[in-house]
Amino acid sequence: MPPILAAKKITKRFPGVTALSNVSFDLQPGEIHALCGENGAGKSTLIKLLSGIHPHGTYEGELHVEGKPVAFQSIADAEKAGLAVIYQELALVDSMTVAENIFLGDEPHRFGLIDWTRVFREAKALLDRFKVDIDPTAQCERLGIGQKQLVEIVKALAKDSRILILDEPTAALAEHEVQVLLAILKDLRQRGISCIYISHKLDEVFALADRITVLRDGSTITTLAASETSKAEIIRHMVGREIQNLFPRRREFTGASASQTPALQVEGLSVSDPHTEKVLLHDIAFSVAPGEVLGIGGLMGAGRTELLMHIFGAWGRRNGGTVKLSGKALPEGKPAEILRRGLALVSEDRRRYGLILEESINFNLSLSSLSRITSAGLLDSHREYRENSRMFDSLHVKAPSLDAVVGKLSGGNQQKVVIGKALLTEPQVIFLDEPTRGIDVGAKTEIYEIINQLTAAGKAVVLVSSELPELIGMSDRILMLHTGRVTGEFQRSEATQERLLSAAMGQNVPSPSPN
Amino acid sequence: MHQKLTLRDFALVIALLLICGFFSVMSPDFLSARNLSLLVTELAITATLAIGMLLVILPGHIDLSAGSGVGLIGGIAAVLITNHHWPAPFAMLAGLGAAVILWLAMGSLIVLERIPAFIITLGGLLVFRGLFWRVINNHTVPVAPGGQSNVMSLLTTYNLPHFAGYVIADVIVAALVIARIRSKQSRRSYGLPVEDGELTFLKLFLAAQFIFLFVIVTNQYHGVPFPALVLAAVAGFTWVLTHHTPFGRYLYAIGGNEEAAVVSGIPVQKITIAAFVLMGVIVAITGFMQTAYGGYSTTTIGELMELDAVAACVIGGVSLKGGRGTVLGVLFGALIMACLINGMTLLAVEPENKYIARGAVLILAVWMDVRLAK
Repeated sequence: MPPILAAKKITKRFPGVTALSNVSFDLQPGEIHALCGENGAGKSTLIKLLSGIHPHGTYEGELHVEGKPVAFQSIADAEKAGLAVIYQELALVDSMTVAENIFLGDEPHRFGLIDWTRVFREAKALLDRFKVDIDPTAQCERLGIGQKQLVEIVKALAKDSRILILDEPTAALAEHEVQVLLAILKDLRQRGISCIYISHKLDEVFALADRITVLRDGSTITTLAASETSKAEIIRHMVGREIQNLFPRRREFTGASASQTPALQVEGLSVSDPHTEKVLLHDIAFSVAPGEVLGIGGLMGAGRTELLMHIFGAWGRRNGGTVKLSGKALPEGKPAEILRRGLALVSEDRRRYGLILEESINFNLSLSSLSRITSAGLLDSHREYRENSRMFDSLHVKAPSLDAVVGKLSGGNQQKVVIGKALLTEPQVIFLDEPTRGIDVGAKTEIYEIINQLTAAGKAVVLVSSELPELIGMSDRILMLHTGRVTGEFQRSEATQERLLSAAMGQNVPSPSPN
Repeated sequence: MHQKLTLRDFALVIALLLICGFFSVMSPDFLSARNLSLLVTELAITATLAIGMLLVILPGHIDLSAGSGVGLIGGIAAVLITNHHWPAPFAMLAGLGAAVILWLAMGSLIVLERIPAFIITLGGLLVFRGLFWRVINNHTVPVAPGGQSNVMSLLTTYNLPHFAGYVIADVIVAALVIARIRSKQSRRSYGLPVEDGELTFLKLFLAAQFIFLFVIVTNQYHGVPFPALVLAAVAGFTWVLTHHTPFGRYLYAIGGNEEAAVVSGIPVQKITIAAFVLMGVIVAITGFMQTAYGGYSTTTIGELMELDAVAACVIGGVSLKGGRGTVLGVLFGALIMACLINGMTLLAVEPENKYIARGAVLILAVWMDVRLAK
């Protein structure tokens, strides 16, 4: 049987760069084929090519569907051939119902009018068939990200797609949502639907994929059967070098002394959502010492991001409790003042809260620290450029120059710019909310190194992460949250994935093995 | 922020040349010293208001009340002068104070209560127009009673003595040269790449040529019109504000991504309200000039001026979503609008056709923008 989809000797050039060179790739019917590679390896370009965004003729090489050459001129052509891409940025209309979204652009109609009975009945049938437990009459804005993703998949299947392309589908999903998604993809495989799966999370890749293709620097490095390889081998192919230690935390912090003023101290903090009045954080207390990394873990909805955003002054209404920075009380709801006092936040959603995407790296880097380069009310733009260049170089941002537009950088490089912006404010305490989400292994290691440098310089770091190995690998102490309450605090020596996960799920924490 | 010249910029220059070429062929008066002097005054009024509009569009808002505000503030000053015998400077200060209070109120409602600027300033458009008619009591109120002149009427009737025009041109050119030299020294001291000396000379030479040509031409009539100086001051101030102060950076950042601006520690609310207050000041300045230009405050003063200001911004490459646009672009957009209106007046085009032409040019400019952006 010919492969359902094959890319043969594809080369795609952009002005100045070759994004793909001589890439070959095939997908069998009913196969889940994972694509792995660091950011910038060429995965996105390959997908854009497969889905018709880069039309036929703008690249060299051939695409075949079921053995026959195809020439996609547009996304519509690719959809007609049975390909559907589920994007990271979801493409649903929030104000419409699930059923309306599923049939958007292809509504069943009678006498020129939309047949609403059929819309809802067929949507229900589709959702049932793929075992997706979502009400077709629900408004999409009320759904979680995971549910929206499932709606998108069903929408693609409603168009008789036989090839699904999923680009980082679990980046924003909670653990149980990931499991639902994986189960549904496995079920689809049984029904003969093929899937190209792109993820930085190797656990998922190995749980799901039949074969794994590694891309590096625009070339296909290898294609391996998942059952015959290992994570270490895949990572080796991705980076082209062995990574000895994924979490190079230098252990210089030996515990806070009792006499020392904590860099940040939070007591009895209780916060409610200003719109729904619902209390989302209950009686939170913790402190971080200078030179310490405090990890905060928890599942989606545990209140981790809300906690950081509230302390930073950008979210929520405080019902009680105090926050002190180096012993002095911090005001509520004033990010500008809080930042000036020495607390910086790197948000989990860098495109939304971190960057002015249309502006240059230079503009973004110094945005929070302009007062340092202002004299007599005027900006010293040359000094700014020089200081930004230093930050740019020390963070190893991969971009042609400081004038490059931030929106066009890869995720890892965007994240470095956001971190650089926070560092330029010379904070005493820095909040890193999911700093390594969606970025490649090399950039991750560089971000861990930045954390080491910060703590070596006596700064305190609060690190929120969904990845338990990262949390255990990088933190000196770990706090677990569950539905807005602290359900466990662990020294690094007592932290195991099982214990952290139990606390995150609000279960009794198994007692530590004696040490 | 340091935007390179694009195809769009060239298209803008070509459009301007085409418009000027057309009118100078159709009417030999278009390029006369007298008409160019009038054009300068009209441009100064349109462009000043458009620059104010830039300040509120950059952070992602809009001001539809500007035209009514121009009428109201000019009317307040005229009524104080003519009916209450105030000295003109005090009358203008009172008008300015009123503008600052009104725009502070609108800005606060928009920012603190999160009501869209479109709605608040649409309300302002109607309320200010009504207030205006009440203030002048539906009469025609002269700016300078008894045909005398005062500070307000001189705003648009005063021309610099020929000699002073040259002195000011010299000062401006000297300032440009010194600023450029200092910038180069500074870049060198930080080890940044420095622009080629010949290119710098060429740019400065062209700018100087343009400034002297301007003075020579206007001197052939009555001398440099005072509004040109007002515009130069407003434009220079706003250019420094937008490109060389944290305030300006923040305007771009807020328009580009307001949530990220908040998390970057930018006092978004204060900055946005301040932008509206600056708009109020500029509305007052425009109101004095526009009313003085007419000689009287009458019910039609300022009508639709807000739309000319928005049009000048859009033609000049300002994004209505916020975060993109420059003073230079707005000046160009205003120049195109002013040439168009002035030329059509010379050709005695009927008012109905003037409206159609203005609208068509606006649509054409945006369409071109969309096409060339691809």
